[in-house]
Amino acid sequence: MSLLIYGLINSVILALYTVGFSLCYGISGIANFSHGALYILSGFTAWNFLNAAGLPFYLAAVLSVMITAILGFLFYWVLLLRVRGIPLAELIVTFAAGMGMLELLTWKGFYGMRYSLPLFMKGGIEIGPVAIDFQRIFVVGTGVALVVFLWLFVHHTRVGLAFRAMAQNERTALSVGIESDWIGSLSMALGAALAATAAMVILPLGMMESSIGLEVLIYALAVAIVGGLESTLGMIVGSFIIGFGQIAAARYIGAKWMIIVPLAAIVLVLVVKPSGIFGKFKELEERV
Amino acid sequence: MAEAKVQRRRKRLDRGIKARTDTIFVIASKRDTLYLLLPRVLPVIALLILPLVLKGYWGKVLVFACMYGLLALSWDFMACCGLFSLGQALFFGMGAYIAGTLNHYFQIPPIITVPAATLGSGLLCAMLLGPVVRLKGVYFAMITLMLPLLLKKMIDTTGIFGGTHGLPSLSPFPSELVATYLAVVGFLACLFIFRRVINSDYGLVLRAIRDDDRAVMSGAINIYWRKIQAVFISGAVGGFAGALMTHHYQFLGLSTFALDYSILPVAAVALGGQGTFAGAAIGSLFLVPLSESLRALGGLRMAIYCGILIVSIIGLPEGIFHYMARKYHQFEKVVEVK
Amino acid sequence: MKKGILVMALMFLFAVCPIFMQPQDGLCADPIVIGVPTSLYTPFGSYGLKAVNLAVEEINAKGGVPVGNVKRPLKVVVADTRDGEPGTPVHDALMAYEKMITEQKPAAIVIGAFRSEVLIAAMDLVAKYKVPHLGTIAQTPGFQAQFKKDPAKYKYLFRVTTDALVDATYIAHTLDMLKKDFGLDKILHIYQDTAWAKFFAGFLQKHCKETGWTEAGYEAYADGASDFSPALTKAKESKAQVIGMIWDVPLGAGVFAKQYVAMKVPSLLVGFIPPMGSPIAPKAVGPEVEYGMTVEFPVGATLALAKLPKTGEFLDKFKKKYGELPEPPAVNSSAYDSVFVLASAIERAGSLDPDKLVEALEKTDYPGVSGKIKFNQDHIMVFGEKSAEETGVCVVFQWQKDKDGNLKRVPVYPEFLAEGKILLPPWMKK
Repeated sequence: MSLLIYGLINSVILALYTVGFSLCYGISGIANFSHGALYILSGFTAWNFLNAAGLPFYLAAVLSVMITAILGFLFYWVLLLRVRGIPLAELIVTFAAGMGMLELLTWKGFYGMRYSLPLFMKGGIEIGPVAIDFQRIFVVGTGVALVVFLWLFVHHTRVGLAFRAMAQNERTALSVGIESDWIGSLSMALGAALAATAAMVILPLGMMESSIGLEVLIYALAVAIVGGLESTLGMIVGSFIIGFGQIAAARYIGAKWMIIVPLAAIVLVLVVKPSGIFGKFKELEERV
Repeated sequence: MAEAKVQRRRKRLDRGIKARTDTIFVIASKRDTLYLLLPRVLPVIALLILPLVLKGYWGKVLVFACMYGLLALSWDFMACCGLFSLGQALFFGMGAYIAGTLNHYFQIPPIITVPAATLGSGLLCAMLLGPVVRLKGVYFAMITLMLPLLLKKMIDTTGIFGGTHGLPSLSPFPSELVATYLAVVGFLACLFIFRRVINSDYGLVLRAIRDDDRAVMSGAINIYWRKIQAVFISGAVGGFAGALMTHHYQFLGLSTFALDYSILPVAAVALGGQGTFAGAAIGSLFLVPLSESLRALGGLRMAIYCGILIVSIIGLPEGIFHYMARKYHQFEKVVEVK
Repeated sequence: MKKGILVMALMFLFAVCPIFMQPQDGLCADPIVIGVPTSLYTPFGSYGLKAVNLAVEEINAKGGVPVGNVKRPLKVVVADTRDGEPGTPVHDALMAYEKMITEQKPAAIVIGAFRSEVLIAAMDLVAKYKVPHLGTIAQTPGFQAQFKKDPAKYKYLFRVTTDALVDATYIAHTLDMLKKDFGLDKILHIYQDTAWAKFFAGFLQKHCKETGWTEAGYEAYADGASDFSPALTKAKESKAQVIGMIWDVPLGAGVFAKQYVAMKVPSLLVGFIPPMGSPIAPKAVGPEVEYGMTVEFPVGATLALAKLPKTGEFLDKFKKKYGELPEPPAVNSSAYDSVFVLASAIERAGSLDPDKLVEALEKTDYPGVSGKIKFNQDHIMVFGEKSAEETGVCVVFQWQKDKDGNLKRVPVYPEFLAEGKILLPPWMKK
């Protein structure tokens, strides 16, 4: 029973990590390797608003999400504009930007016990023998909401369709009038905002430290690859596989194997079905 | 007549000396020969003299730079074949572990472990990556990114080969000078060999695979086998680097699979320019001393390092080497567009 | 003619020069350089450095350390090994060490590497350059193991803090008290999968088996873990009365503390959990930290003990200079003491020659904040549980509510330091 519940919670957390990343990479084709750094940065921004400016948590969270979105937007214009189209350079530039931000945070002294965000609501409920706190339920709720939002956005709104158009064939999209730079920066901004939202609900569960940034990036990559880029359903399934896999491994094999599950999952999926479980990128990309 | 707005563009022309040196008659003129030789020979001579000049700490930095250079070269070689890898740490760590464990458990001296690690690492990596060479682009990159992490966690969890603690006190090389020269000579030899190979027929096939693999397949060439061979060669070079480092520092640990060893060669190539091995070499010879000299800045070191990296890549997306080569061989003129 | 004047002028200058080049006493005395290569951006490194600077300031205020008949001030130089950050290769950290040793030429190194792996790798480097090394962070018993392999080569290395064995013994005896006074007998072990914690937990496991505890589980978690729900669920389901938790990476410990609270696990927390021991734990984790017991090693790192006034003095000085109390995982009283140990050894040796310094260090007998500092033949500080006058000591404390309802940390073990008895939470009384 607890396996089910905690497996669910873990999977939703993983999905939340990935939602922003998959929007950017899978849907708009922009590799945003600073995803993890933006995640943590939003956490520290919120902390600063909370403690230095004394704002209530709701306000701090909203402000921090907005600021991270603006930062994502700026990232595109400042960093990616000149190197769009050279995948190697894109990767390195975003990764270096992420690393640089994380290092700046560490240098400013943002580590240690006191960097912790408060829970939205304390207390919890009991389902059978398992106690769950409200915060985790809130996480699950937010996760579901965000995933649904992503799916609706990408399939039914003009801007979302424009995002997908850019990933499928940039030239055709240009000829239809979808301006790739503007859309690209919007997609990065949205991806960053999603990362920040995830951070706001997940970070209160523990403490904040720069090393989380790298971890989040790796998990996001893992889930995106396993589920298949571009497919929202795939992302959900991928996160569930990895999430449940981790909890089950911890329960039945030993807790220290928890970290190995996502890594092994990626390797397995990539060997067997490279486009991921539900990926639609087909043979042209991954084949031969 | 109406005044049309004058539009200008930059026109690039080959320099005269470049045109003259393209033929065999280059040997007739000392100046022309020097034009061709100097950029190639000077750095080599400089690198060969440096170990005598730099001692101690900066000598180690030179070894470091050559090691990363080897990793960058191996990355570039795989990229020439169309294999985009984010996991040079895999080769490095394999070589390090093979050399380290042979030395620690069986007391085999470095003169045997290093070649053994080179070959062994090439074989093992080729076997590991064999099933996935059919992937392209980002998918291959993901596997290579994950494999060193996976191996690292496996060793961590199972505790074999020293586990989290690692194996200390391995045997060093006979002298520091020997080690430094081994690194420099290895690096230069690799650079030379790779450049020759990629311009030979064998290299031509590899480059064709990168450009259009279906066409190569239709020529009845088994591209998977060629790709595996490319992985073997790169793996061997990376393993050599790993084994060298292990014996130089006399220590083997989990950190040989660190992400650092995957990302820095890629950054070096991004900085120096992909496609020509000289770019990879220049990139790493620039980045490693930069990183070390920034140590004086304490905590901001990595942040500034990342900043410099970003600025260089945005400023010169094609890479330093391509930029320098272009400036060397061509000059620019602003002309009107007619 | 002009040439003649020039030559005369040069000769005059040469003759007069030596006067300007005489070393002057007092303000311009050559400082003794102390090197601190450690992971500066983790609590261990940054608070340790602050403690070292505090000590150096105190010594310099008295004029410095007498070397022979000249008093020389101390100077601290730092190098960031970044080994506290995940993903830093050992070679990178060693380069920081080597750069500092070759360029700054310190007379000695204090604090040293944070990760056990780096420390053991650095042992060869330090032995090669012959620099006395007083380690105050890494807790692994691997240090002694490596030392024993070649004591003559590694004689420059000392450890001025606890190791996992000492900490484990303290917790083991606390568990004994719990068994004796309250009859508890079911325990679940959770520990971090690094060498020192494995050793700690292994020792505890053996001890529990020998003293009749039932083991509900023995769970290892990778040090990057962020979800402890499987183990906590196990604890709940098996009705374990005590959870023995050993963790030092602040991140995981923070998550664990919050999860423990969120999942309402009815077990007593005992072990080494930095966030539970921090002065701001009630605010950061919540009032549920009450009844949790943590071992602090060594004394003086973060809790002022009524029976050891030196700890209170140290923490007061720290707070006065830096405006805050140090956070718990930092073994900063060791860092503070190590500077004084070094100073006293320099004074006794009368010179900065490494071999003479090592001889003097071996004979150290110094009453520090962490207890009496003496080294055994493996060059590690001796710790015990009887008296701070004989050996170094640690303390185990429990969060208890005082008369006004505020949560305070009350030392409960060892007896000569205890200010209160262990209290069982009300939901555990049968």
